[in-house]
Amino acid sequence: MAKMVGLSEELRLLDGMARDFALNELVQGREERDHYPFAPPCEDVLARAHQVGFFSLLLPEELGGAAEPVQALCLVLEEVCREDASLGGAVFTVALAQELLARAGAVEKLEQIYSRTVSVRDALLAFPSFHNPGDTQPNLAAERHKDGYRLSGGVDYVVLGNIAGKAVLPAKSGDRPGYSLFLVDLQAEGLEGSEPVLSLGLHACPAVDLRLSGVEGELVGEEGKGPDYFEAAVDRLSVAAAAASCGVMKGSFSTALDYARQRIQGGRKIVNWSEVRMILSSMAVKAKVAEMLVREAARAVDGKEPGWRLASRAAALQVQEEATELTCDGIQILGGNGYMQDYGQEKRFRDAKQLQSLMGMVPLRRLRYIRRIVDGESPWA
Amino acid sequence: MLRKSDSSLLLREFPDFTDTMHSLVAMEKMPRGVVDECREAVALARRFNRTVARNYALELDRRTQEDPTYLPWELVEEANRWGFFTMWIPKLFGGKGWSLTSIAPFVEELASECLAITNLIGVHYFGFSILVATWNIRLIDQISREVVEGEKTGKPCLVSGAVTEPEAGTDAEEVELLARAKVRCHARRVEGGYVVNGRKIFISNGHLSTWHILIAYEDLERPDESMIAFAVKNGTPGFSFGRMEKKMGQKGCPASELVFEDCFIPEENMLVAASRLEEMKLLSRAARRMKRGPRELSMQLIDFVVSATRPGVGAMGAGVARGALELALQFARETVVDGRPLVNHEWVQCLLAEMYMNAALARLSYMEANYANSMYGMARLLGFKPLYYYHRAMPTSVFDRLMPAANRLDAVTSAYRLLVMGGQSEEEERLASGWASLAKVAGTDLGVKNCQLALELMGQAGLRHDRRAEKCLRDAKLLQIYEGTNQLNRLNVFKCLVAPAAPEARAFED
Repeated sequence: MAKMVGLSEELRLLDGMARDFALNELVQGREERDHYPFAPPCEDVLARAHQVGFFSLLLPEELGGAAEPVQALCLVLEEVCREDASLGGAVFTVALAQELLARAGAVEKLEQIYSRTVSVRDALLAFPSFHNPGDTQPNLAAERHKDGYRLSGGVDYVVLGNIAGKAVLPAKSGDRPGYSLFLVDLQAEGLEGSEPVLSLGLHACPAVDLRLSGVEGELVGEEGKGPDYFEAAVDRLSVAAAAASCGVMKGSFSTALDYARQRIQGGRKIVNWSEVRMILSSMAVKAKVAEMLVREAARAVDGKEPGWRLASRAAALQVQEEATELTCDGIQILGGNGYMQDYGQEKRFRDAKQLQSLMGMVPLRRLRYIRRIVDGESPWA
Repeated sequence: MLRKSDSSLLLREFPDFTDTMHSLVAMEKMPRGVVDECREAVALARRFNRTVARNYALELDRRTQEDPTYLPWELVEEANRWGFFTMWIPKLFGGKGWSLTSIAPFVEELASECLAITNLIGVHYFGFSILVATWNIRLIDQISREVVEGEKTGKPCLVSGAVTEPEAGTDAEEVELLARAKVRCHARRVEGGYVVNGRKIFISNGHLSTWHILIAYEDLERPDESMIAFAVKNGTPGFSFGRMEKKMGQKGCPASELVFEDCFIPEENMLVAASRLEEMKLLSRAARRMKRGPRELSMQLIDFVVSATRPGVGAMGAGVARGALELALQFARETVVDGRPLVNHEWVQCLLAEMYMNAALARLSYMEANYANSMYGMARLLGFKPLYYYHRAMPTSVFDRLMPAANRLDAVTSAYRLLVMGGQSEEEERLASGWASLAKVAGTDLGVKNCQLALELMGQAGLRHDRRAEKCLRDAKLLQIYEGTNQLNRLNVFKCLVAPAAPEARAFED
């Protein structure tokens, strides 16, 4: 219960609700959902997550949201990802797309989407959330057409691109450096989606490659300012990405500990082997440090404390890396059983590595982090 | 200058010079032809990768993700056509008789393209190695010739090794653990043979193999002293296949459950029994001198096998480390960041250099272990220069005329056992086993590491199945588990290579 100290009553209730949701809605059928794209998409889980408000946590109340701080999103992602990170991937992607719209000042577009009762499809916003569009030149181009824009080209790995109502897409516009963000109706004529992308992890958080041919797009914010909006969103939501990885870590550790208490090798429970205890200890320490890091960074983000932007990014880089190491050990404790789908550990290993790529390539995120410090931004007060 | 006696004493200090410099020692003893065979094996594997594996690996992985019960018979038949299942069977038994030293570089090459395909081919030799470790020449000859016949007729005959049980995975690989293990596969001696009951799990190629080399135990309370090995053929009453596992990776190589229910195995299919040393003439003078009893024999059998196969797993680690490097390099060449190719960024060059070093270190480890095994392991007789050249030069047809009849004689089995089992010292067993574990841990950890680095470099592209890197990571993780978890192998490295410097130490007794 240490996590609860310092949280408001409202956040405690939310945390409990998210925990109940994860246990009641996500544990059962996890393996079947993970069989996507060779099985139908798990729209029922998304619909229930929508009902309890997971896709509108950060939205203002006038838009039907809960106007919660980032800490709330972190709590939900942590609890959800303990049991099934796929839903966490969907919740994070929608929050990131909403954040981009908010950073760009596109409140009217958020109002168009959320100011009425919306279906789950309408509530979902797609975005290529495993990529920083600023890392490489966008393959999508926007051309002015009368009062609006027409988009042509392709965007790869658009998360939720086959089940969301709209997508936020980066495109090159004119001769300006950088890129611009556009809101696109995913049912629009001229838009074609690929078969679902088969990925390493988060199978039940679908993604597709999109090809656009003269598709109408609404400019979000100012032309060429996409990188600014994206970096601002990364500042705020990196800690939420860290929370998702932290949840996976906790799930992996719990399963490993439970197994070690049951499994007998060499005539005794493996939890009594000191080598196994060393591995479990390392896992426990990493998970606990991750939890503390996420909590502290989320508090800094919500309080706009000095250095909060870098705190948020540092939490993500550190926790995501630790999660890939911990989940590797999480399989190892279970030996051959850990490698099989039956115990959920192999899924956590895949999911942790997938989550590490949220919002761009790890080395480039590291370089961006140190560049800001070198350029004078202080990581602490 | 040092006197020879002083030098000798100094070199025997920890770490003993001969414990650590196998390649130097092997250079003197190794026939030159082995190098040529290694070159040929690598070239052959490269051709196979380019013409078969490269186009097929992703399709196979995707198909088995969709249907975990899919059995890739077409791949087995293709590998059979390429002659891969008989290449390392000695000519004495009808095979092509390639030097065992060449199998690891071959495996690395295959693994650089696809670990599932590599395992499907390589694990046949795991089963075969258990068969050979028993030195039951009559059955080795019989089964080998069926494999050779399967190649000629186009109907593959593969061999699986059935060791792991539901409640005893790691336990089966060390007698210290086996003594306290919960093994369930029981062999009861009856008139004319044995009745076996129990289950084996995670048996690679189980559903694809014709012969299964089964490890069972006559006394479940004392499994370390009652190990018994059988050759079980498909169709034997009481033997059936259970479920196929849903693995994270290496999906193209099925992992099967084998079920034995009152399965009668005739005496002639019993390979070796630790409880019948005297009767089987295993208590040779040499073995008696080394005080080898049933427990020591069990450990020797285990070490014969793992000393040969664990360097192979290390080679798979080296292969996937290289495969991951090649994918990362390709990505870095085709991706532009900040207006220039990623490969021209200094940090990327250092990362790629690290990946290259990881692959090279994995290779150095398995080659050292390979040399140790070729000098001290179960097939060391074939590396003896005169025998090697005789074996290599003589056409298989000549062996085929002479050997089948001789190989059926009990005296031949006894002679081989005397030479190989009785002739291996505890020191030699220790070195081969310790280095095999070292290579396994080093190679597999470095393999997983490189896959993780490749994914980090490739970002979103690395997560996609169609870019292959994510499959490398899923496939590689299994290397740290099978052939003894890396935890067990670390303990074995301690037992074999570190503990001699601390005589008071007791491994596996924490």
